[in-house]
Amino acid sequence: MAVNLTELKKGFDQVGYICNESTALTVFLTLSLQKPLLIEGAPGVGKTEMGKVLAEVLETDLIRLQCYEGLDETKALYEWNYQRQLLRIQMNRNLEQDQVKEEDLFSEQYLMERPLLKAIRAAERPVLLIDEVDKCDPEFEAFLFEVLSDFQVSVPELGTIRANQIPVVVLTSNNERELSDGLKRRCLYLYLDFPSLENEVRIIKARVPEVADRLAWDMARVVARLRQQTDLRKKPSIAETLDWARALVALKRDRLDGKLVGETLNLVLKTRADQEYFREEIGPEGIEDMLRRGGDGGEAARCR
Amino acid sequence: MPLKEKLPDSHLEENLVTFTNLLRKEGIPVSTTETMDALNALQQVNIASREEFKTAIQAALVKNRRDQDYFNRLFDYFFVSPETRAREEKKADAYKKEYESSLDQASKELKFKGEPLQLSSSELAQYSSLPTEQRKRLQDFMHKTETGVNVEEQFRPILESVVKSHLRYCRTNQNREQKEGGSSRSHNSGAIPGGGGSGPGGGSAALSEIDIQEITAAKLPEAEQLLQGLSKKLAIQIIRRRRSGPRSGPIDLRKSLRDNMRYGGTIFKLKHRPRRRTREQIVLLCDVSASMKHYSTFVIHFMHGLREAVRDLSCFSFSDDLENITPELKKRGGLQQLLDRVVRRSDTWGGGTNLGLSLQTLMEKYPDLLNSRTSVIVVSDTRTISLDYAIKELGRLRDQVRRIVWLNPLPGELWPEYRSVQSMSALAEMWPCNTISQLEAVLSGRL
Repeated sequence: MAVNLTELKKGFDQVGYICNESTALTVFLTLSLQKPLLIEGAPGVGKTEMGKVLAEVLETDLIRLQCYEGLDETKALYEWNYQRQLLRIQMNRNLEQDQVKEEDLFSEQYLMERPLLKAIRAAERPVLLIDEVDKCDPEFEAFLFEVLSDFQVSVPELGTIRANQIPVVVLTSNNERELSDGLKRRCLYLYLDFPSLENEVRIIKARVPEVADRLAWDMARVVARLRQQTDLRKKPSIAETLDWARALVALKRDRLDGKLVGETLNLVLKTRADQEYFREEIGPEGIEDMLRRGGDGGEAARCR
Repeated sequence: MPLKEKLPDSHLEENLVTFTNLLRKEGIPVSTTETMDALNALQQVNIASREEFKTAIQAALVKNRRDQDYFNRLFDYFFVSPETRAREEKKADAYKKEYESSLDQASKELKFKGEPLQLSSSELAQYSSLPTEQRKRLQDFMHKTETGVNVEEQFRPILESVVKSHLRYCRTNQNREQKEGGSSRSHNSGAIPGGGGSGPGGGSAALSEIDIQEITAAKLPEAEQLLQGLSKKLAIQIIRRRRSGPRSGPIDLRKSLRDNMRYGGTIFKLKHRPRRRTREQIVLLCDVSASMKHYSTFVIHFMHGLREAVRDLSCFSFSDDLENITPELKKRGGLQQLLDRVVRRSDTWGGGTNLGLSLQTLMEKYPDLLNSRTSVIVVSDTRTISLDYAIKELGRLRDQVRRIVWLNPLPGELWPEYRSVQSMSALAEMWPCNTISQLEAVLSGRL
């Protein structure tokens, strides 16, 4: 599990996760200091992917806890299998055996592990991905940061369970609401922005190797241009760029033009309002013009 | 390896603590644990590399995007290479000498009967900063006074007082011009030399501390983006269905019996009816009267942001009366088009304020919008004609809706002076929001 910065960067490259130096360094610090990592950023910049990629690079299990409104300890930590316990009581009664003891009922076989407990009890240091933590209720968040500070939980019937290995914890947030200071204090922080033009090209080529060089650059320029539009409801994410790349490869295209962008627009702009906005404000002609000028990436650099 | 062993002669630990204190002074909360994390992080990186050093302490000390701008500026200011420091110190020495000599010169120029006037160093500095013409005028005035008929030494205090008030007047004028010219900064101006400018290092953090009415045209696009983000947050926070009481509804007996048949009729697991989940309705009332003129653009940005985020949003502008601007907001287009539609064609923009009548119109014309699921957000400075009538109508409105949240752009320290604020804050949850950061505080903590 002990990795150095060079190995980590190499690992990221091998699994096709392209990131800048400071991102890699922050992740490295998370691993070496054994602190949770809180990642914020716009949707689709690769926050969740970071958790998955880390599990792949570290060759370990990924345990994922998807947060949502109303998530509570029974869904996140553990729950007793009440049905099974009651069945056991009933069976004993019917078979006229000795009365079942209470400690038998609250033993391991009736305990249902949820992601947090699973991560704490894992034999090998897993990656625990707590996704979209801003969506859970503040009460659950308070509970969460207690778990994350001590990496131990108390099950009244079983006692305190301590982590065998402190898991690699990655929390992601879309910043829909401010997280508590307590949670933030316990984490290292990383803000992921949309990638630079060069990195976007590298990502496209790493994930869709069939894509032609020229096409990858054209796509990266168009996507960067779209992300500059503050009036778009949803800016194209990296995942959408990749879907678009796959679609264009399937269409056997090796470069972009305004018409093609207009025809395949629904792969990058996912709402009707955004598509209309594109046609009114930029249009295929605007894209054609930009591609003909062969922008040098300055526009993209500005949107970072 | 501990840092002390790694760098035995360095003052890194002390410097880091000083730096965290500096961050705290700038309003970035840094705990002792985080400072220790930063120190631990430094043990893992190559501290000879400035980038690695910066990334390591940033990850440990700064926990939101907004504060990163401040951090970057403070870092560049605080952690400088010895060469840069020596250069800066040289510059500071030269500046100090120049400053002292300018005070001497000022003292020499402002004399009465051969003796310098009793002026403080800041007054002398103010005099030195005046254009040559103005200085000359002041000297002429003093000369004429000195050589006037029957002007004796006793006249000195009067002359000093006149010169002092003139310098005060000049300072006020200079300040105003600076503000109008866009060089005014927040409370922390000057805290970071070279950091208060409008370059990329200026950042949204500083912008969010400025009184909204002082945001300059050049900064508007940045402020617009900030506000859009904030209004989206507000919308999500309000719409989010709140957890109150048990998550599920009453017991569903039929379903419980049917579901437990497999256990031989023993009720192992109770089934509940799902609770009805209802979407909240938001009604936004924006004061666009003359007294709110400075905040009008802010209000428009705010509405623009909310429009993007919330579908069940009804927007009204009000001054003399109420005007429904929801249809205008729903139209597609940028902010400029919105400003054009709402401001230039509006009947209510820039008029006087009659809150009572506006609320009455709202309740009479749009009763469907007002029910127990409705949150009303009022953006207004509370100044209105017929205050008692307005209070009565606000009371009526409060009885019809779930809550009234009042965002007041009037600075908090002025609230006690206004009876309208006192009365209305008793009927609504009122929060000051004359800066973007105050607005954010309201959103993150209190709604």
